[in-house]
Amino acid sequence: MAVKIVTDTLSDITGDLAAQLGITVVPLYVRFGEEVYRDRVDISSEDFYRRLVNEPKLPSTTQPTPNDFAEVYRKLAQETDEILVIVVSSKLSGTYQSAMQAKEYVKDKCRIEVVDSMTVAMGEGLIVVSAVNAIKKGAGLDQAAEMVRKAHDRSHLIAYFDTLKYLAKGGRIGKAKEFLGAMLSVKQILTVRDGEMAPLTRVRSMRAGLDYLTSVVASYQNRIEGLAVEHTTNPEDADVLVERLDAIFPKARILRSIISPVIGTYSGPNAMALTILEA
Amino acid sequence: MSETNSIAGQVLRDMFSTATSWLEKSSADIDALNVFPVPDGDTGTNMMLTMRSTMEEAYRAPDNSASAIAHAMAKGALMGARGNSGVILSQIWRGMAQGLDGKESFNAAEMAEALLKSADIAYKGVSNPVEGTMLTVMKDAAKEAKAQVDRGEEDVIGLLEAVVNAAGDSVARTPRLLKVLKDAGVVDAGGQGLYTILEGALRFLKGELELMRLRKPQIIVSDLPSTVPLPQATGVDEVPFGYCTEFLLKGEKLEPESISKRLEKKGESLIVVGDESAVRIHIHTLEPGSIVQFATKLGTLHQVSIRNMDEQHQDFLEMQKERMPTTDTAVIAVASGDGLKDVFGSLGAAAVIPGGQTMNPSTKDILQAVQSVPSENVIILPNNKNIILTAGQVESLTEKKIKVVPTRTIPQGVVALLAFDYEADFKTNAEIMEKALSSVKTIEVTKSVRATRINGLHIKRKQPIGLLDDELIAAGDTDLDVINKILDKLDMKEAEVVTIYYGEDVQAEEAEKISASITEQYTNLQVELIKGNQPHYSYILSIE
Repeated sequence: MAVKIVTDTLSDITGDLAAQLGITVVPLYVRFGEEVYRDRVDISSEDFYRRLVNEPKLPSTTQPTPNDFAEVYRKLAQETDEILVIVVSSKLSGTYQSAMQAKEYVKDKCRIEVVDSMTVAMGEGLIVVSAVNAIKKGAGLDQAAEMVRKAHDRSHLIAYFDTLKYLAKGGRIGKAKEFLGAMLSVKQILTVRDGEMAPLTRVRSMRAGLDYLTSVVASYQNRIEGLAVEHTTNPEDADVLVERLDAIFPKARILRSIISPVIGTYSGPNAMALTILEA
Repeated sequence: MSETNSIAGQVLRDMFSTATSWLEKSSADIDALNVFPVPDGDTGTNMMLTMRSTMEEAYRAPDNSASAIAHAMAKGALMGARGNSGVILSQIWRGMAQGLDGKESFNAAEMAEALLKSADIAYKGVSNPVEGTMLTVMKDAAKEAKAQVDRGEEDVIGLLEAVVNAAGDSVARTPRLLKVLKDAGVVDAGGQGLYTILEGALRFLKGELELMRLRKPQIIVSDLPSTVPLPQATGVDEVPFGYCTEFLLKGEKLEPESISKRLEKKGESLIVVGDESAVRIHIHTLEPGSIVQFATKLGTLHQVSIRNMDEQHQDFLEMQKERMPTTDTAVIAVASGDGLKDVFGSLGAAAVIPGGQTMNPSTKDILQAVQSVPSENVIILPNNKNIILTAGQVESLTEKKIKVVPTRTIPQGVVALLAFDYEADFKTNAEIMEKALSSVKTIEVTKSVRATRINGLHIKRKQPIGLLDDELIAAGDTDLDVINKILDKLDMKEAEVVTIYYGEDVQAEEAEKISASITEQYTNLQVELIKGNQPHYSYILSIE
């Protein structure tokens, strides 16, 4: 029986892509006041970002409950005896704890391996894709889990934030706080380092940001296993980036996605993320 | 949601027991916030231990009335208080006990009263109350409680929610009130601890136990721009700090007030709190012996702790070093005008050396700044062509590795600093920064000091003149006239952002007019106006 893969919605693998890969995606929760939504199950990205910009109070987010994972485990245990769970960095969310605790609720004879991806968004998503491919090629649970555990070293997520306002208010700022309080209006380029957001550099405009992102991809030329481009409210900017990257990496192979509303709570509008999975 | 109109003694105990566990989860994070010379180097741990003692005693209360539990907590806090923050915390519980005295349970209005009492007693316990500490946070929290009651709030949870929010905002404001916090770029540790305790109690009342098990408290981030102290301010301070001396004095008919008077002149940060039978004393003194000797005449001493604060200071400096750089490279810049200094500081320069046109800093000034930063690799941004050479001299005078990025203007310095890459090594960063210089054009507007002919221009004395990248190319009737003449010569289609820094002699309205004029002419540009307060140059424009 082949290993089944579970991830969370922060991997930005949803809908058709999830179905195509044959994986189960557990949603986190987004809360506006008293209203609670499952990430991209009860609320679409478009609706979410519209409300994020227009509502005075910022939404908050919550990890899936242990029970959410337990239900998925039980269901998959009918089909397989090995499950690989790849979750968002435990420094950014408690999802890892929920996924771990859920193991105790499952009585079925099924091995469940939970791995902290140490990253987020497509940084996590491309690792999931890589794991799916490894299993297709015949990798077992231990082998696939070992690959995933090491994968964060070659998963490079580079995010362009129009503002750090949302990240700071959400308390998830990590080392990127060094970028707070600049007296000039600057756009921040962040990355994920040791599982949390860390500063990379700064630019003054979106165009300079696109130049920077392009130059990063160019520096990995010929060493790229997977490439993903994501946006929050600005698909047109992401399109421009994809066109520019086409010269380095065929755009047909570039995975497009939308940054999860849960992350959007921190990234705010007009953000972009680029992920390179090094070969 | 249903309202909670009254809190019984048992609930009071349970909510703060839960709050203690909540605090425990973040005590290490709170420890990391400490800034010397705000004493006790481990505020989070001290508050957590104080709370433990507080709650242990709460379980020994003679009955389950709110009054009995609050009094037991106050006693436990006093007996187990650790450090400055612990002692202040014990006074908060003492105020709470006075506020709830004789009450079986309490409602929103009574809770507000008790909080006000807590703030009051906490202030009285400290001989020199300092704002921007947990005292301020307690005061702001109590004030909000009162305001809520005046507004008719009867739900205790609603009241506490507002109090927690107010406390959080107050914590975020502490760096505005206390310079050491601002310089270190952190919020007050004691204030954060108090906020965490209140937040924990609120979460208990809201029934979020499961959530609390999975999460941990967040440290509040200040919204203040992090500015850097000038190198002079970070120089080695040789004043000894003495000994942090604290103990519990037990006896009969003790008089805290007269003890406080006796000790007032013996040191700093004196706190004397307690009652007839037990008094807790905390003082920073050069002569701990004389304090102890005095106290032994009044009763018996318990939990005596005398710590050498100079040692603590060393530990603190070590900790600072560990905490400061996410990179081993520091950037220092030369700039004059407090606005420009703040711009560099807010963008992450480790030090800003005062200087610029006609006020070139000496090699010694630059060397001093280089030595003061905690990094072994230092990149210098001279921001003036006459300072580039001076900066180059520093390399032979220090063991640190030095690179001078030859910035000739303030805008070049800013783009260089922005291009700094946190993941790149020292050498690569110097290269990246130098490469960035070509992405900016600089316009400087000043007044001619004498009549002259240059570059085909006839210039009168005191006439506004303009330089493009350090070269005099325009003269005009007004500053705006000069700026326009230069902008006409540039290919503005390529530009995206114009930043205008206006000088110390320029009125804000004047600068706004110029900003508006540029915005109108070049509608695609993002125009930003900043008070640079620089001398000599009425305007410095950066065109990127």
